[in-house]
Amino acid sequence: MTKKIIKYSVIFLLIGFVAYNSVYFKSLSQLKAEDEAKNFDATKYAEDYLNKELPALFNKVPDVDTLMSLLKAEPKKAFKLYSNAMAIGNVKFFMTKGAGTVNSISDNEIILLTAGKQRFTVATEFIFGNALRDASGIIKVEDFTNSADLNNVSAEINKLVRQKVLPPFKGKVKLGDKVTFIGAFELNQEHINLKNIEIVPVKIAVQ
Amino acid sequence: MKSVHKYGVTLFLVLLVALSPSCKNRSNSDSKKIAIIVSSLNNSWFVFLAQSAAEHAKLMGYESKIFDSQNNTAIEADNFENAISSGYGAILLNPTDSEGSVANVLKAKNAGIPVFCMDREVNSTDDATSQILSDSYSGCVDLGKYFVKTTNAKGNYVELLGIVADNNTWARSKGFHSVVDYYPGLKMVAQQSADFDRNKGLEVMESILQAHPDIVAVFCGNDAMAMGAYQALVSAGKADQVKVVGFDGAGDAIDGIKDGKILATAMQFPKVMAQTAVEYAVDYFNGKRDFPKKIQIGVEVVTKENIDNYIAYGKKN
Repeated sequence: MTKKIIKYSVIFLLIGFVAYNSVYFKSLSQLKAEDEAKNFDATKYAEDYLNKELPALFNKVPDVDTLMSLLKAEPKKAFKLYSNAMAIGNVKFFMTKGAGTVNSISDNEIILLTAGKQRFTVATEFIFGNALRDASGIIKVEDFTNSADLNNVSAEINKLVRQKVLPPFKGKVKLGDKVTFIGAFELNQEHINLKNIEIVPVKIAVQ
Repeated sequence: MKSVHKYGVTLFLVLLVALSPSCKNRSNSDSKKIAIIVSSLNNSWFVFLAQSAAEHAKLMGYESKIFDSQNNTAIEADNFENAISSGYGAILLNPTDSEGSVANVLKAKNAGIPVFCMDREVNSTDDATSQILSDSYSGCVDLGKYFVKTTNAKGNYVELLGIVADNNTWARSKGFHSVVDYYPGLKMVAQQSADFDRNKGLEVMESILQAHPDIVAVFCGNDAMAMGAYQALVSAGKADQVKVVGFDGAGDAIDGIKDGKILATAMQFPKVMAQTAVEYAVDYFNGKRDFPKKIQIGVEVVTKENIDNYIAYGKKN
């Protein structure tokens, strides 16, 4: 009797051990995520981000005069409250919005003066980098296993701004115009230089 | 009685096999030594990376040892064997080859030892516990912008690539071209590898200048090649006419920017990478297991306008 119990126990354990190591389970959502990752469409991702996810955040974006005042008075607080970045380091990104009068126009940029006497640049030519991707904090680095996909998201967001946001504005803007905008800019928290702020617009119009 | 004994031994063996992975994990978690395996100690940048990791490990109360792979995956494999057999509890790796180092990382993973990659990545999303890398692509996007502005988007230029098998080479090149290729007035007349090496940078640039003397700028995948290219330009009497751009933030390049020899570089922060890797290893020792697969460390463009904020290897004034 004892022999039989031991014999069947050993057989049961062996079968259990082999079966456990022969079969594995994956959730459907995990499989779907893996499949999507293989066929990542950066253009579609960027379009969804610019047209759906980002606009939902526009009413929470700080006004440029308020943000600049906070950056001058309490920079640490401003960075903590309003900045985001995917990479570890000193460079952080802010979303901001506001209105200003066009003070100068060149091939690469316009200079705006706000009601709060802030003077800053809005880029109209060099739309590159991660400001619009990172500043909102919506896109998370953990969602991407491939850094090339993450880089392509930035490139596609910038391309859409160059192709769709800027041409109608550049064709119309003149000196003295009042302009409203929503955009993003980068700032080094170790070496804060508020004089060279360059806003990359995601929405810009002559009033 | 003999049969009972036989079945007893079989049962014991089955249980031993079934429980062996947990035993292995337990013995490794007892080990608190950190192995720092670096691609080459023949390059001051990697020496700084390794020493920063060793210093930070010591500061946090852990023993560490630096292993030199001499840019050879076979030597790297020996270093992994040594680290595993000597009971190191974590490996901080600066890989020799994005593809060739995967097998070594896998060896450590199978032995239950976590591997944290620094600066260079391996082409596997699952095998390293975490990869802590410079955001080379974005750094070169910013360098590309500066390049276009300072050349007024006009003229012939040359690109010197790093080691062709290294992902950083292509991340840097792609970031740069993602900007520069928008401007048809800038024409790349030559693109050649100089293996991240100063002497090769000099040789390759000398040869390129013979075929293409009419260039306005050269973009190099690291500062060593940029310094080599600058030397070639001096010999050809063209140093004042051609703008040289590098990447890394090495001492030579920082001095070169101050002296007007180099136009710009991108500052990496090897100390931040090394410290993050050590802290991750310590977190692992303390039981943490959910690490981000990739962490990017920001890169900052250094030019004559902001040179006073920087000294070599990212250390700030």
